[in-house]
Amino acid sequence: MARITLTDLTKVYDPDGEAVVAVEDCNLTVDDGEFLVLVGPSGCGKSTTLRCIAGLEDITEGRLEFGDTDVTTYSASERDVAMVFQNYALYPHMTVRQNIGFGLKLSSKLSSSEINDQVESVAEMLGISELLGDKPKELSGGQQQRVALGRAIVRKPEVFLMDEPLSNLDAKLRSDMRTELQELQQNLDVTTVYVTHDQTEAMAMGDRIAVMDKGILQQVGPPEEVYRQPVNEFVADFIGSPSINLLSADVDGSTLLGPGGFKYDLGNASPVEGHDRVRVGIRPEDIRLVDGGPNRAEVTVVEPMGNENFCYMELEHIEMTARISPTQRPTAGEEVAFAFDEAALYLFDAETGDALKTKTDESPDNIHTEVST
Amino acid sequence: MREQRRKDAVWQFTTYVFILVMTLVMLVPLYWMIVAATLPQEQFIQFPPRLYPGTAFFENFAALQERTDFVRSIWNSVFIAVVYTVLSILLCSMAGFAFAKYEFRFKEPIFYLILATLVLPIQLLVIPLFLMMSQIDWTDTFRAIIIPWLANPIGIFLMRQNMKSIPDALLESARMDGATEFQIFYRIALPAMRSSIAALAIILFLFQWDLFLYPLVILETSANYTIPVALSGLEGTQRVYYDQIMVATSLAIIPLAILFLVLQKQFVSGILAGSLKE
Repeated sequence: MARITLTDLTKVYDPDGEAVVAVEDCNLTVDDGEFLVLVGPSGCGKSTTLRCIAGLEDITEGRLEFGDTDVTTYSASERDVAMVFQNYALYPHMTVRQNIGFGLKLSSKLSSSEINDQVESVAEMLGISELLGDKPKELSGGQQQRVALGRAIVRKPEVFLMDEPLSNLDAKLRSDMRTELQELQQNLDVTTVYVTHDQTEAMAMGDRIAVMDKGILQQVGPPEEVYRQPVNEFVADFIGSPSINLLSADVDGSTLLGPGGFKYDLGNASPVEGHDRVRVGIRPEDIRLVDGGPNRAEVTVVEPMGNENFCYMELEHIEMTARISPTQRPTAGEEVAFAFDEAALYLFDAETGDALKTKTDESPDNIHTEVST
Repeated sequence: MREQRRKDAVWQFTTYVFILVMTLVMLVPLYWMIVAATLPQEQFIQFPPRLYPGTAFFENFAALQERTDFVRSIWNSVFIAVVYTVLSILLCSMAGFAFAKYEFRFKEPIFYLILATLVLPIQLLVIPLFLMMSQIDWTDTFRAIIIPWLANPIGIFLMRQNMKSIPDALLESARMDGATEFQIFYRIALPAMRSSIAALAIILFLFQWDLFLYPLVILETSANYTIPVALSGLEGTQRVYYDQIMVATSLAIIPLAILFLVLQKQFVSGILAGSLKE
């Protein structure tokens, strides 16, 4: 087991002399046995960061440590890490047994019967014992996924790395595997870094999640903290489904004035002091449809989800979403009044996007804030 | 509707007739070669020609063997072609792997330079190669026939194109499993390339099997002659021994036929590799 420490890690690609910064000054610590999810839109540098940890990419600047050992210059095979790839990367000409045992055969001094024993116990743990004689092309996607996991587990590595391992599975299988992966990780207690672009997956799986954008680490923290106390507008917008509602508003004393007649009086104006203009954020679940009020929007679509309705509205060309009770069914084209509590309101600096105020509607005392940029 | 169907039938009939004619055009010389191998020289040149096999095959073979030690030539040709094919496959695969999967300086220019050597005809290379071989005292040896042609540009090109289709993740996965670069090559890349290697084996074997001018220049002792060189000895200034030539050529295609039958399935799928989405 090992703690992973990234210090000022920078990766610059240099295709044809044109430098592209994929990851910039990334500082991150993954605790021993922790399940950390790296999440962000495509091209944000999350996979590159993972590949740097794996040793598949050279680190341009900065340092990488496993425990107290500096492994920055170690090759992939010297780092004692195992990786599960998005497309599983099973060796097509080998049977499942050979696939799982390949790493042990190359890197350990075990006899072939010892290797066999270990392969079989891992196969049993993953429920693929009866597939050991099959070739990868004879397996379903879910089975291939298990073989890929088995290949990683069997070597008992210090660190597990997973690069979008569930993205090739169908929705049902994906949520099953999600649970299974978490259980497996808890049982094995191996430090794990998991990359995904799916924020739902990140929220559901991670002990902590690390949000990246444009090569820069935006925020690291437990899922709930990242959701409730995003450090900036990007994090607020990326985390949460459906996405947070965002609009620009002018500040007039303690009053926010937005498009389409949007008006909101703040009880506490200190967060917006010194700002003429701010970005206002409200989570869909915090919007209530009310009988009357100053803020009105036109309903465009209502999507019934069974246990709730998603109500899509337009506030002068700004799309807004409200999660409302299934008993409320406004019709398309109807103008509705909406309201929300100040405690649920997010405010961001209009220029920098930095958070000025985040959710305070529940007691935040027990949530420990840790922000790393 | 009926009109259309009749048109289709006519078209199909014409196609089959055409295919049949073309097949005959190709089979007749082959058939004649085998028939002629069984005829004594007098019957070979008679007119109208005799179109069914005779009984003189073994007499013809005995005469051939006496004149050229043809069994020895077959052995020489098989030995040279097999050794060449094995070594060249290894070299071309390694080069193809490097060009497909590694980054290094001047990779593209070097690759195109290798491809460019395809335009040089063998006739142009024979004299300089002969001079080189005599300088290092390699004339009249098998290694002089094998080694200069090992880096085969078509082979390197074919292997590079096919190696490109191996997913990078597969190689990275092996790297993380602790494989060295050479282990990645022979444990992962080579087995994945089986059908391309079969195709390449046939191409290389055929190339070396048919090589004539170069061995003719290099080989001096008749005991070292390959089949094409031995055959050329049958065209004397006074007389051409057609009966013996026909025996020799009939025998010469047997190893090729065996090789192709063995590798046929892989050969076709190798040539077509990447043409269809799998």
